Parts: sequence; C-alpha cells; structure tokens
Amino acid sequence: MELCKKGLKTLLLERGRNVEHIKDYPTATLNPWDFPYGMNNPPKFKADSPIQSSITYAGDAHFFVNDKEHPYVQEKPFLWHRGYHVGGRSLTWGRQCYRLSDLDFEANLKDGVAVDWPIRYKDIAPWYSYAEKHIGVSGNKENLHQLPDGDFLPPMELNCIERHLNDSIRKKTPDRLITIARIANLTKGWDSRGPCMNRNMCSRGCPFGGYFSSNSSTIPAAMQTGNLTLRPFSTVAEVLYDENTQRAKGVRVIDTETKESFEYYAKVVFLNASTIATAGILLNSKSHRYPNGLGNDSGELGHNLMDHHSSAGALGKHAGYKDMYYKGRRPSGFLIPRYRNLNGDEGLGYKRGFNVQGHGERAEWWDTMKQGSFGTDFKKQITTPGPWTVWMAGWGECLPYHENQISLNATEKDRWGLPLINIDFSFKENEEKMMDDIRKSCGEMLEAAGFDGVETFNYKKPGGTTVHEMGTARMGRDPKTSVLNGNNQVHGVKNLFVTDGSCMTSSASQNPSLTYMALTARAADFAVNELKKGNI
Amino acid sequence: MNRKTAIKSIVAIVTLGGVSGAVYQFFTPGEPIPLSDLPKKKALIAELAETIIPRTHTPGAKDAHVENYIIKMITENTEPKMQRSFLAGVNAVEHYTMDEYNKPFVNCTTEEKNAVVKHFESKANLPFEILNKANRKFLGAPFFFHLRDLTVEGYCTSLKGATQGMAYLPVPVTFEACIPLQKNQLAWATK
Repeated sequence: MELCKKGLKTLLLERGRNVEHIKDYPTATLNPWDFPYGMNNPPKFKADSPIQSSITYAGDAHFFVNDKEHPYVQEKPFLWHRGYHVGGRSLTWGRQCYRLSDLDFEANLKDGVAVDWPIRYKDIAPWYSYAEKHIGVSGNKENLHQLPDGDFLPPMELNCIERHLNDSIRKKTPDRLITIARIANLTKGWDSRGPCMNRNMCSRGCPFGGYFSSNSSTIPAAMQTGNLTLRPFSTVAEVLYDENTQRAKGVRVIDTETKESFEYYAKVVFLNASTIATAGILLNSKSHRYPNGLGNDSGELGHNLMDHHSSAGALGKHAGYKDMYYKGRRPSGFLIPRYRNLNGDEGLGYKRGFNVQGHGERAEWWDTMKQGSFGTDFKKQITTPGPWTVWMAGWGECLPYHENQISLNATEKDRWGLPLINIDFSFKENEEKMMDDIRKSCGEMLEAAGFDGVETFNYKKPGGTTVHEMGTARMGRDPKTSVLNGNNQVHGVKNLFVTDGSCMTSSASQNPSLTYMALTARAADFAVNELKKGNI
Repeated sequence: MNRKTAIKSIVAIVTLGGVSGAVYQFFTPGEPIPLSDLPKKKALIAELAETIIPRTHTPGAKDAHVENYIIKMITENTEPKMQRSFLAGVNAVEHYTMDEYNKPFVNCTTEEKNAVVKHFESKANLPFEILNKANRKFLGAPFFFHLRDLTVEGYCTSLKGATQGMAYLPVPVTFEACIPLQKNQLAWATK
C-alpha cells in the first residue's frame, strides 16, 4: 500500500490463493451447530496438518497450510505455523501491538550479545505512530519507559477479576501493573472499518472489519490507487541479482498451479515472505558474487533464529465476585508489562525479560464439565457461570544464538523443486532460567491476590509455538556481521529491502508485528526517496 | 491382585510413558462392537446422553439430537484407540444393563439408567483418583469420561443447547466488562 500510494506500480506476489475481504471468510458468521464436528478440527485437516492442528480449530483451519504439501525438516523440534494465502498471518494473528523501547534497542550492545541494533527508538517512534494511526490500536497509556505508549483508540475494559488482580498487584508490587492488551481491534469506527463487535472470532476473518488485516485494509487501499497488481499462486524461487549494477533485478517465480517458471523485473524489491521463508529465498538466490546466498557476505543469513517462549505461568480460581459477570466476548486479554531487569542485570540469573499475558473469566462449560457427575445437577453446573479464574503466562525474550538457524536441505525438495528448509532451534539456559522465574512470579501474584488452587506450570513448548519467529537476516551496523543496514536494505544490494521478522536483531519480549509494520512503512518511505534521488 | 498392588501397577505402567495395551484393558473391559454397528445404537446413545444432560425446564440431550453428534464424532473424527475404547464401552453398557436388569438400557426406568451410568462413572473415577493430570493425558479417557465429554460438547454446540440451555449472543456489539449476575442467569454458550 505504501509503495502504491507513493505512485509506484507494484506487483504483490503471494504463493497461495487470494482471500478477499468478507467474500472469502467462509466461517465468519457460522454458529457452533453449523460445523459438522462442533469446534473440533475436521478429520482431513488433522490428518494432513498435524502441526497446524495444534493451534487451529474448525473456524480457522482453512487459513493454515497443509503440512503434507509444505513439509520442512525439524532438526530439533520446531513447530512452524503459517498460512499460504494473500494476507497470510494478518488474518489469524493475535493482534497485540507493542512498541519496543531503547531498553530493547540497546540491550545487545549493553550485554555484549550478538550485534548492536543500527537504530534506536527515536528513529522508529514516528513510524510506530504512523502504523498505529493507520491500523487502529486500542489501548491505555501507562507512561512506562520499557513499554512506550502509542497513539491509541479508547482501551477495552478489564473485567471484575482482572481489576481485582490489578489492584492487588499495584498495591503489593508498586513497580508492576496490569493494563488492557494493546490490540488492533477497533473500539470505534476507523478508516471505513469496524468498530469491533466483541464476537472474539477474529481468526475466521471479520465481516465488520473490526481488526486490522492486510485483506481488510492495506490491500484494498492499494488496489484503489490503481497501482497494484496482485498475483497469487506465485512462489518466489529466488531474487535475481545483477552483478553489473549491483542491484536486485527482480525475482524468479514458480507458478504453484502450473509449475511454470518466469521472471518479473522491478526497480525495488521488498522481500517479506516471513522470517524463515525470506531467509530460505535469499539462501537459494545464488550467484557468482554471492555463492552463499544473496547478501550473505557475513555468513549470518539463516542464523540467529529466535522465537519468544510462552510456556511458563500460573492459573488459579477466586471465590469472590460471585454476583458479577460480563456480556460480550472481548477479543483481548490483559498485559503485565515487563518488570524484570529494567535497570541492567538485577541478579536474577538471566538477562532480558518478559511480559505477562493472561485473561480472567468465569469458568464455563469447557472447564465446568471436567468436575462433577451427570444428571440434573451436572446440567446446572455446566449451564451456569462457574468460579472466576485467571490464567496467565510470560511471553519471554529469546537471545540470538548463532547456532539457532535455518538452512536449505542438501537433497530434499518440495513439489516445486525448491529445497526443503531445515530448522535447527532450541531454547537455552537464559530462556530456561527466565521460565523458572516466570512460573514462580506468576504464582506469587495470584497467591497474593487471594486466588485458590493456584497451579504454576511450564509446558516447555518447543520453538515456533509462540509464532513469533525472527532474526534470520538481522539488521546491523557492520556488513561483516549482519545482513541488513539501518534502513532495512540488504548490505551491498541497495534496492533490496527486508522488513519482516527476519530483520530483527534482538527479539525483545513485545509481540513484534507492530515493529514490522513500522519498519516497513519507514523503509518504503526511504526507498521511494532514494529512487527519486537516483540513489537506487 | 489387591487394590494397592493394582494401583501400583497402573502407576508403574503410566510412568513408563505412553499407552500400553494392559492399561487400556483396565478402561475398556471386553470387546468393542464393530464401528459399522454404531448407527444401530442410536437410541441407546441418545438415552445415555439424556441421562447425562436430561431435559429439565430447558431442552435435554435428546431434544438437541446429541446422539447424532456423538455417532458422527466417533465414526469420522476420533483416532482408532479412542474409537475402540468407546465401542467397547457401548458393548459393556449393554451387557451390564442386561445382566443387572434383564432388559435393554432404553427400556429401563430413570432410576435404573442413573444406576447404570453411575456404575460406569465409578469405574472411570477409580484410576483417576490415583493418577495425576499429566498421566491422564497419556491414557486418554475411560468410557464414561469420553461419553460425558462428547455429550457436553454435542449439547453445548447444538442449536437447542446453546440458545435455550445456555445464553447465545452471536453479535454482542459492545463488551460490558463487569455487570451484575441476574438470578438464574445462564452461562454464555461461546467464549
């Protein structure tokens, strides 16, 4: 949309099918009884997509890949969740939008880990605003250094038990607080969309345009300029490099339906196939100048893969507020912004930090059915509100480790003749120590707030399960140790930009999509100016 | 084998990890009926479901045709081990009822039906008292729990169950975060 609005004729390539806003949301308004198997994944999907099935349900399974058609190699366990269709994960994302701060941008430098980010908060702050104002993010200002406030629409509200927990946390640990999640769901009409109708069925696609997706917002806006050509069923096999001009020439595309191969040329290329796929495409883009993959002088391409961990936390129930309930299904939870290691190493035994995400609710049939017997009393139990409960877990930073990496398989290919991707990733000691602290800390907060039956947990989920994979083409100041510069240009290939998760130099603990959007708008603006100046 | 030894054996098997045939035997006494016979058991399944969620002043499982959901789920969307144990459970219910009351389940009185289901409930609960939650995941569900879960799912996602047995609001429009609970107010059918 940015390039189209600035007057550039733009070709948008997507390897999967088109999904048009509203028209192509088959389950958006279905009732529970309209599905053949309740909310369960359909049997064929479970059989074809065992990996995707772990996070999908009947309402959104069709927005995730067929694992059989799109295999990859897990050198260590890693669940790669994605959908191949126009709009990708912008249809199914969690919609939480948090700004990184200088605590995050300076962390690598201060800790002596990996490489320094080539930007600071002041470089990206105006673009965070730009992105927030376009997509519409509802939230509450809290004036925290470690989690900068944004340009928010009115916040959604906390329910009774969350307010109770908030009061307890603020009183007992005054450096902490609960705030409502900052979420790309509209609390008022915005940009001809919304507001959100509080159905909490976002991942099906929203006929009200209540949340931001490319399908509901940026793609139609780009279409309206008359400058967009959309070509689905187009897998990019490689980016083509011109040794004479030292520029990207364009891309080689394989039509996923016909398997024909052809080339498209352009003055500027933005490669945003998502972290793992982008690195895979660059690694597959070999030339005399770049035998190890386009832009890979540093040897860092494919390395430094990160994902947030989200395995540890606590849950509990509360005997109070029995005479209170709620109406409507708020499509967001709450956030306890990061409170660890805010002033350098606090002697916790690990670096960096986490934010806590959770929700409060009254137990309803999914939970109340697990206790109890059968018959009239049981029926009453499952059809009336149960006790108040809170579930919360830490979304934690993952350090960049060179050995966490993706690579191209030497022998195995997919049905289009492209090499399969190997993923070799594990969480390490820093992350594990952090998870131990998260578990204990979450339990303490619930106990202190008078919850009963407090259980702490660490599910020890493998990488990929938070669906925040990042880092495989990192930004940096030095071409010897990074793939991109501070403007998201591939070092040495001035007209090739990467602004998806692969560009992240560190993971921070904030949900990353807003940062990708801000960097994209900033890089698009830069690219167009450079074109006008004749620099690229 | 006394109860203590039996319990220790189960714990020992479970802590070795994974589901073993011996453990499954504990939950699934006897042979399963063939899957193709399941549709013939529609009336029995309906009565079992109705025993779990009876009609009161709101519809019950039979009103909501939960038996169709259960049969469809077992036939089309359940993995083989769980299918087998469910079908063995159905067989066991039929035999037990015939032994105890000398008539099929569908002809029993409400008291008799409750007694039969109670019997299978206590069979299911015995090992579950001993084993912790993590171990339960490996074992899958004994027949009663499997039946109960399917009945509840089928009821709560049905038209009658969701809209009359509970409260269903397709498009809430607003979110009211903290409001008084009315007397006899029903729970929301969807989250």
